Amino acid sequence: MMATAPRRQTVPAGEPDAEHRRHVVSALVVDRPGTLNRVSGLLRARSFNIESLTVGTTHEPGKSRMTIAIRGDDGHLRQVLAQLERVIDVLEVHDLTTVPHVELELALVELEPPDGGDGEARLRAALDAAGGELITPADGSWRARLTATPTEIDRALEALRPLGLRRLVRAGAVAMTTTAQTTSTENGDPSA
Amino acid sequence: MTALRLPDDQPTPSARTVAPRIGARAVCEALVREGATTIFGYPGGTVLPIYDVLREFPLRHILVRHEQGGAHAADGFSRATGGVGVAIATSGPGAINLVTGLATAMMDSVPMVAITGNVPRALLGKDAFQETDIVGIALPVTKHATVVMDPDEVPLAVAEAFEIARSGRPGPVLLDFPKDVLQLETSAPHPEPYELRLPGLLRPVRGDVPEADELAELIARAERPLILAGHGVQIADATDLLRQVAERSEVPVAHTLLGIGNMDETHRLSAGYAGMHGWMHVNKAIQQCDLLIGIGCRYDDRITGKTSTFAPRATIVHVDVDRSEIGKNVRTDLGIVADAGDLLAALLNRLPQSAPRSAWLEQIAEWRVVSEARSWHGSGAWREGRLSADYVVDRIGEATNHAATLVSDVGQNQMWAARYFGFRKPFHHLSSGGLGTMGYAVPAAMGAALGAPERETWAVVGDGGFQMTMQELATLVQDQIPVRIAVLNNHRLGMIRQWQEIIYDENYHSAELLGPDLVRLCEAYGIPAWRATKPDEVDAVIAEARRAPGPALIDFHLDEAQNVYPMMLPGKGLSDMVEGGAE
Repeated sequence: MMATAPRRQTVPAGEPDAEHRRHVVSALVVDRPGTLNRVSGLLRARSFNIESLTVGTTHEPGKSRMTIAIRGDDGHLRQVLAQLERVIDVLEVHDLTTVPHVELELALVELEPPDGGDGEARLRAALDAAGGELITPADGSWRARLTATPTEIDRALEALRPLGLRRLVRAGAVAMTTTAQTTSTENGDPSA
Repeated sequence: MTALRLPDDQPTPSARTVAPRIGARAVCEALVREGATTIFGYPGGTVLPIYDVLREFPLRHILVRHEQGGAHAADGFSRATGGVGVAIATSGPGAINLVTGLATAMMDSVPMVAITGNVPRALLGKDAFQETDIVGIALPVTKHATVVMDPDEVPLAVAEAFEIARSGRPGPVLLDFPKDVLQLETSAPHPEPYELRLPGLLRPVRGDVPEADELAELIARAERPLILAGHGVQIADATDLLRQVAERSEVPVAHTLLGIGNMDETHRLSAGYAGMHGWMHVNKAIQQCDLLIGIGCRYDDRITGKTSTFAPRATIVHVDVDRSEIGKNVRTDLGIVADAGDLLAALLNRLPQSAPRSAWLEQIAEWRVVSEARSWHGSGAWREGRLSADYVVDRIGEATNHAATLVSDVGQNQMWAARYFGFRKPFHHLSSGGLGTMGYAVPAAMGAALGAPERETWAVVGDGGFQMTMQELATLVQDQIPVRIAVLNNHRLGMIRQWQEIIYDENYHSAELLGPDLVRLCEAYGIPAWRATKPDEVDAVIAEARRAPGPALIDFHLDEAQNVYPMMLPGKGLSDMVEGGAE
């Protein structure tokens, strides 16, 4: 967690990590025009490709939470997070990958109507596996929402694709730590 | 007017009110309250409300000839004084012309506030005349940039801009004011410090640094320790502490380009300037030391060269106020996030007086004898009767008793200035180290001369960089700013020529540079000027230029083939330097 990182650090030499692990970064930011620009601009300047980025309000007025799913070299990412921490409108930055957390995503899908047989059963089974639920089937279309981890959604989509996936909209991951909240002293901001 | 939504744990803005005044007056009032005395600007439609009231405030406005010059002048003012320089520009092209200066200040952690006008709020986003999204353009090259959309926010925005610019790791801040925000009235008072809303501003933890225990132990155990001190030491105003730590621990101190002035170069523990064109003995010390303590430096590529071969025998320590610098460029065995001054004070409290490290210091001294002898010759000074740049810089240093502010440009002139002036004190050497902005010297010297008028100010600049911002000669004349300009004129882009000679097989292209007759040019501006072509003319023209009451220029016609040695080639390391000329 960047905001509470110790003053003492050791950074070993080493070749860039070729694996480019997926990281889920959570940033608490001031809700102001331009904040998203600052955050995404920094990531762009370091050539990070953002897998997903969500922004929403928090329980505290004036503060928003960004959840950024991103792939990158661990060391490179740690450094860019420290740079993000410098942005005036960024209050805190946490790499959730290193701590217990829950991560969920919402996806909306439109499907081909099942053409009899066990089509409908297979479709419902695929949806169930990813916490899916049919919505507005009344107009004859088959739309569903999936709420699950991004990996579960990926798997559900694999199952749904052969059954006829017409359209897909994904919201991007949101995530939250599942450990006790820590207090950040770094920014003089006790509201972590 | 509604205020921005505030995070709820922040103090609400003051309920106090003051007599209403227009936004432009609130801007000027805030500048004065934040300590500004001199501002560098260029008027235009959207900032005219400020110019309309400027006379009412104790602010000296210097009318520059191009906004880039204004930005560099504000930067020079900051660096020479340790304060916060201010630049003003109008919307569109005026604002965009600041960008090079903002990026220069950003790379070198120089505090500065830039104020731009923009089109009235109702026209924003409509491609109005001279409209540009300057905040969008400035974001990556500033510490912070924001538009002030509400007259009631003006005092707070200016106060916050100064606080951001000078706190922690300093940097430039841009504030954009739509014209009508400058024209409408507000009763908002100047905020008290506790009313600033900056919950996301990183403020270093101040006070004792417990991690200094570990560093003190490393120093005690080391046989060949070396401090590499950067700009951060001067930003923290900690050069005295650095000297005391060096003396207590008997550790020699090398410096980066912007770390020039951290130690008096004649001090027995001052190793000297390190890096790509640094002294061989210093680079050897880096490669041979068993403990390298970087304080307030970035370990940037001009210091390290190939990082995998950098300081191979050393435990590497990195102290910086900015966490994101730790481990960014080199492996770091011990990184400490702290203000350089706090760390040095903490070390001083812990360090016992060390016994002399005679063997290590004698080794460096031995290397130094070779390095200085060889380099002086290698620089081309041996060419019979021809004028060499190192000689010119050396003579300026001697004539001014090494007490002048020296502002160098970029390229060979910068390296000669760094190597041969002989700096004694902090805040006396100004240069665009990170961004390498040609054209920096003359306008920055202008700001430095106004900020620190008690010191003589010299700009050392090549004929290339001089021609990039020489329009500021008129500013120097109009405000009688006493900058002495030494043009190291080799009728070449000298560093380009040097690279083409050494790396590109003497395939010279676009390195030869036609320039005006500088003495006649100065005559046209009303600036006294001299030309020197031989070594025996140098002292006399320097003396003449020093006697001029206002600006003065000397055109030094140099040996055009002179190179700066030693030189680290691209992709190579500090152990693999080219030493030319002396064989």
